[in-house]
Amino acid sequence: MSDKAPAPPRDFTYINSVRRKPSEYEAVNLHCQPDARGGWDIDPGLVVENNRIAWELSSTKLDHPDWYAFRDPAQLWQRSYVKLQAEQERSIERTCEDAIAGGALADLDETWAREILGGHYRVWSFVEWGLFRAAFTSARETLSDSLSAVFTFEAFDRLRHAQDVVWWMLALEKAVPGFSDAGAKEQWLEAEHYQPMRRMVEEIMHATDDWAEVAVVVNLVFDPIVGEVALSRLVGRLAGPHGDSVTPMIVRTAERDRRRNQAWTRELVRMLTADDVPAAAENSAVIEEWLAKWTPLAIAAAEPLATVYERIPKTTGSFREILDAAVNAQAEMVGSLALKGARS
Amino acid sequence: MAPSIIDAHDRIKDFDWTPSYSTETGRRYPTKFKIPGKTKDPFKTLVREYLSMEQEKDDRQYGGLEDALARGGAAKKSDRGWMEAVKLVLPMLVYAEYAAMKNMSQLVDTVDNPELRQGYLTQGLDEQRHTNQEMYLMRYLAKHAEDPEGFDRGMKVRGTNAFGRASRLCFENFFVNDPIEAAITLSAVTETAYTNPLFVPLTEVAAYNGDNVTPGVFLSIQSDEARHMANGYSTLAAVLSVDENLPHVQEAFDRGFWNQHVFLDPLLGGLYMYFAPQKINYLDKWQEWIADDWAGGYVAKLERFGLKLPKYFAHAAERMQWLPHTAGMLAAATWPFHWWRFPGPTEADMEWFENEFPGWHAIYGEFWAGYNALTDPKAGMIPLQALPSPPPLCKTCMMPCAFPHPGINSVRVVPHNGKPLAFCSYPCEEIFNQNPTRYLSMRAFDDIFHGVGLDEYIIKNGLLRADGKTLVAQPHVRDDLPMWTLDDIRRCNVEIIDPLQVPPPAAAASSNGSAPHGEA
Repeated sequence: MSDKAPAPPRDFTYINSVRRKPSEYEAVNLHCQPDARGGWDIDPGLVVENNRIAWELSSTKLDHPDWYAFRDPAQLWQRSYVKLQAEQERSIERTCEDAIAGGALADLDETWAREILGGHYRVWSFVEWGLFRAAFTSARETLSDSLSAVFTFEAFDRLRHAQDVVWWMLALEKAVPGFSDAGAKEQWLEAEHYQPMRRMVEEIMHATDDWAEVAVVVNLVFDPIVGEVALSRLVGRLAGPHGDSVTPMIVRTAERDRRRNQAWTRELVRMLTADDVPAAAENSAVIEEWLAKWTPLAIAAAEPLATVYERIPKTTGSFREILDAAVNAQAEMVGSLALKGARS
Repeated sequence: MAPSIIDAHDRIKDFDWTPSYSTETGRRYPTKFKIPGKTKDPFKTLVREYLSMEQEKDDRQYGGLEDALARGGAAKKSDRGWMEAVKLVLPMLVYAEYAAMKNMSQLVDTVDNPELRQGYLTQGLDEQRHTNQEMYLMRYLAKHAEDPEGFDRGMKVRGTNAFGRASRLCFENFFVNDPIEAAITLSAVTETAYTNPLFVPLTEVAAYNGDNVTPGVFLSIQSDEARHMANGYSTLAAVLSVDENLPHVQEAFDRGFWNQHVFLDPLLGGLYMYFAPQKINYLDKWQEWIADDWAGGYVAKLERFGLKLPKYFAHAAERMQWLPHTAGMLAAATWPFHWWRFPGPTEADMEWFENEFPGWHAIYGEFWAGYNALTDPKAGMIPLQALPSPPPLCKTCMMPCAFPHPGINSVRVVPHNGKPLAFCSYPCEEIFNQNPTRYLSMRAFDDIFHGVGLDEYIIKNGLLRADGKTLVAQPHVRDDLPMWTLDDIRRCNVEIIDPLQVPPPAAAASSNGSAPHGEA
């Protein structure tokens, strides 16, 4: 019999990976956050004066026996995230530079530039700002490191786009005589057609303390309906006919982020409602409750944007068609989640 | 022509608005500090520049790691003792980074200033970066180090280790707190005072000991810290501009300095001076980075706001001479409990200690001679058994109450709600009394495992190697000595004792010089 000792594991031994060995994403993210249930870390740690502890199971109405089971379908960690976004930013910068240097902005429709870019698109930067704040404070409360990472990246997505809008406005001011985004903040704060949208953003930012609800509302309700209508359809898709080749490119990067954020939120819902999860039915019911509460608000936030649509010189189809398409697509996407809560 | 950064930055300062539909009742992290509306982000970092800068740094650092591997077994060329120091520190450090990230997401909620909010987010992503970098390094070493066991599970076992629990408590001060006090602790104390002695000399020690892998990662981390110090300074200057905040800031500064000193100084001193043959005198580094640069420079500049040096600073300075040596001795005395190996000092090491710290031999020489005599399992005894009683663990910092050194022990044992509690020093007792609830929920290692056999502790906490019988921890890193097994530990018949639950023999107090009720 050989006395040779068995080979050491040569990898992290504590990660419950779906594969034989943890992926790079799993290895660098998982179990950095102590378990709110105690687990290996025994107890909840220090207490703050208002009796809060580092992480609380009550931070969400949803329940799962192992929050560390969550995996971002995009498998992003800091390095791959930064690489992805740095590439997007370089593309935007070059597209913008080329458009200016090549004289493409000479074709820019004046009404489009004034009403949609300097007005409506600039207003969208405030939406992104509000959603950045909601995502980053949610990152604080999540019950695992893999969830913290997706919220942190989403916060960064939002700030990135908000800053890109501002940067593009400044570039337009320099390149297009008379262009200005002055007054956009006043519109955001006062224009009647933006108030339902602002109300919804403020309620997500300030009144929604459940981090999972923030994910569901923003990525499964707000973005598929309000983001689709206000950003993708009114700005991204209609820019081309108005001589604007830069804006669609910026919007497409935000849409890429949106798809990624929707994908991880859908994965979270799938994880929470899987058949082997003891609280699956209760989780489904809670998520359905959130969807039922927020979907009408999102539709109400998008409806008044018909006013903005009317100001666009070249459109195809009616605003109602655009809104209906977004609402139907969102309903179909939510339907595909196969929620089986008490309300179903 | 591209827009200027200044113009862009001026414009993005205007993102915030006062909500009118939903009042800020959802504010999650209340603070007693008044925060003025006008504060500045001195770095004016735009996302686009940030991404480009960080990608470049990532490519350099991860590329370096891959190159080091390509050059052939870089991780195996490091001094084996030094690798054990890296094994010890990485799981602790990861929590510091992670806790710092949580601090940033709290500040975004608390500080009403769009400039700083954007700075906090970029710092948040930095902290995610550092977390991922350190995890990547740990896995790299699990794959490539000469002795990988411990690197593979440090993250799991840190929560049940006495020093791992002390590290958690230390770094939890970065976010489980009033968010502004947490920010003062994180930025004004730890990042400004301690990241330099942590990341800069540590890379020197690593390089001296043949480690070409760790320095690249640590220096890349440190390159983000200047921005963090600036964030911290802006936050601190903002709260100090409101007169009524001053007493709160001073208290936060006092507590923050002490709760970092009690853990970080023993840790860093232990890392730099024990484990590896090539050493750096940590006291010199402390004098340079903490006393001269931080206390004499940074804090002195804040005096114009009325802020004074933390009131415990002089006491900390007095303890520094022996603090790391006592920590080294205590960690070594309990070697079988850990996820790292602890090599005893050689004759040359001991000569270095005596030269650098005259009087060292008189205090610690006997212990280390005994330690080295017990490295072979045939000795049948672990150093802990030579102590009349293990020291109690401090309720505030969870470090053993044995500082500054066994002959001058400042342990204080006081009753609290009918139970005895131990404090390692008068500042820890004072800080506990300011807010007992804060510390009562976290149980010390010896309270949790009182009465558990050492063999059982080792099995339950996964501290055995792949063969299922040899300990991960060892009192040496030599190939010519046998490794300790579970059977060797069983022969020692050691049980974990909480000395506050079982009164130590009367002889214990006199032999270790402790004075259980008040300063000795």
